[in-house]
Amino acid sequence: MLQLQNVTFQVPALDTGEQEPPAEQTIINDVSFTFEPGGFYAITGPNGSGKTTLAKLIMGINALTSGKIMFNGTDISSLPINERSNAGIVYGFQHPARFKGTTFRDLLSISLGSDDEEKLVNIISRVGVCSMDFLDKPVDSKLSGGEIKKIELATVIARNPKVAIYDEPDTGIDLWTIGPMVDLLKREQKENNTTTIVVSHNKTFLEAADTLLLIKKGKIAYTGDLAGAMPMLDDLSVCTFDELCQGEDDAQCYR
Amino acid sequence: MLNAIDKKVLKEVADLEGIPKGAYNIRKNGKLEGREVSANINIETNEKGDGIIIDIKPGTVNESVHIPVILSQAGLHDVVYNTFIIGEGSDVTIVAGCGIHCGGDASEGHSGIHEFHIKAGAKVKYVEKHIAIGEGSGKRILNPTTKVFMEENAQAQMELTQLGGVDEAKRVNEATIGAGSVLLITERVMTEKEQSAESKNEITLAGTDSKTNIVSRSVIKGSSSQDFYVNLTAKARCYGHIECDAIIMDNGINQTIPALRALHPDAELTHEASIGKIANDQLMKLMSLGLDYDQAVNRIIQGFLR
Repeated sequence: MLQLQNVTFQVPALDTGEQEPPAEQTIINDVSFTFEPGGFYAITGPNGSGKTTLAKLIMGINALTSGKIMFNGTDISSLPINERSNAGIVYGFQHPARFKGTTFRDLLSISLGSDDEEKLVNIISRVGVCSMDFLDKPVDSKLSGGEIKKIELATVIARNPKVAIYDEPDTGIDLWTIGPMVDLLKREQKENNTTTIVVSHNKTFLEAADTLLLIKKGKIAYTGDLAGAMPMLDDLSVCTFDELCQGEDDAQCYR
Repeated sequence: MLNAIDKKVLKEVADLEGIPKGAYNIRKNGKLEGREVSANINIETNEKGDGIIIDIKPGTVNESVHIPVILSQAGLHDVVYNTFIIGEGSDVTIVAGCGIHCGGDASEGHSGIHEFHIKAGAKVKYVEKHIAIGEGSGKRILNPTTKVFMEENAQAQMELTQLGGVDEAKRVNEATIGAGSVLLITERVMTEKEQSAESKNEITLAGTDSKTNIVSRSVIKGSSSQDFYVNLTAKARCYGHIECDAIIMDNGINQTIPALRALHPDAELTHEASIGKIANDQLMKLMSLGLDYDQAVNRIIQGFLR
């Protein structure tokens, strides 16, 4: 069980030239929520609402400003990333790191804790999205967006996580691969009782989730099923850029 | 006779557990330690007596020659001039390298000049590793020079590696690439403590459709410094690329100066260069797979210098 207790995350505010700018900008504002073991959760919301930040707080990539994160009864709020990973929480990045020289085999071996060929092949067939030729490819800038996301997914699943967090797993993935990807995450959830948290705008993921968290301005605006969220999501489909353009339509914007 | 230290050095520079199979020439403390020739590969001392000539017969395929150098005598600065003649249509691997074992406080050094004449259609892989070990406080100095002359349609792959231990290194690589020939150079250098390494490269794409790819990977630890210069000159329709990446750790400093000179309108030359610390997203990824900070750094560096 993963519990967020009054989780808040602030960053120093940008100086906007106003006379007395606020000292802090609150990205995540007093969020409390419990992720039950084996549940499939989707975190959604408008751009800049704090979805990714919330996910990164769980992994320890960003440090909490205040509040607490409890995992299976232990306070993990101050644990570094690797210790949270070793406790069973793993994170799939939206824009996975690209290396020079490090291969898929290297990453997968680190993830599995073994470079045994048979185990590597097992995970590849379990993930079902990578051919063997992939193994010795460097995870560098030559890989396509789709290829690197498949590698990212495989490295997460290879750790047999108790909690798997995927930040926009469909970025760079073609439309036809999203279905099988959802099936894979569902299968991992069912077979290994993996608590699955997906940050996404994609309807396929939102439909797959048991519970949806709608984040708006750093707060949870809604939790529940997709049907209940639809009216709010429809509201969000109107333009969210008006603060930027301030109503000017020189470019004849059709938003 | 090879002693335990010699064997350790040999293992490091040439992956050899003992005397190699096939043609070899082992030089120890400025003297010939052992030599073997094969039916297709001849090795003999040059006229001046300051090096060897390795003559590979045309059409020699799947053969290798090892020419390691061992230095373990304090105060010795060994200079050699070796010439390689790689016959037409041959396909061979040359493993060179120098290992210094420093046991005292006097400096030890080796300057090896390797000149390659790669004949038409020949293919050669040249692996050169430099290491320095030992408890002594003397400076370990390695100044390698390679001069490469490639005729038409030849291929050369050069892997030049120096991973730690060497206090001062001044490398010079010069190459002239003939029509249809391809030269690939990968240089990997790791320096630490107060060490310094400099690499100067003068590469000329002389013939039509000649190609080159020059890759430099540098890791600069401690208070060490590395400078990498490359002048890539194109005199014909050709393609050349330079890729230099440096990772700075601690207080290391680096200069990377790639220069492209197109002296022909159909030359196509590109370069990419980067200097910086280990990327944060790479560290995050490996830590999210359970490695602690130091383990993550090591894995990234290992891959980078592979």
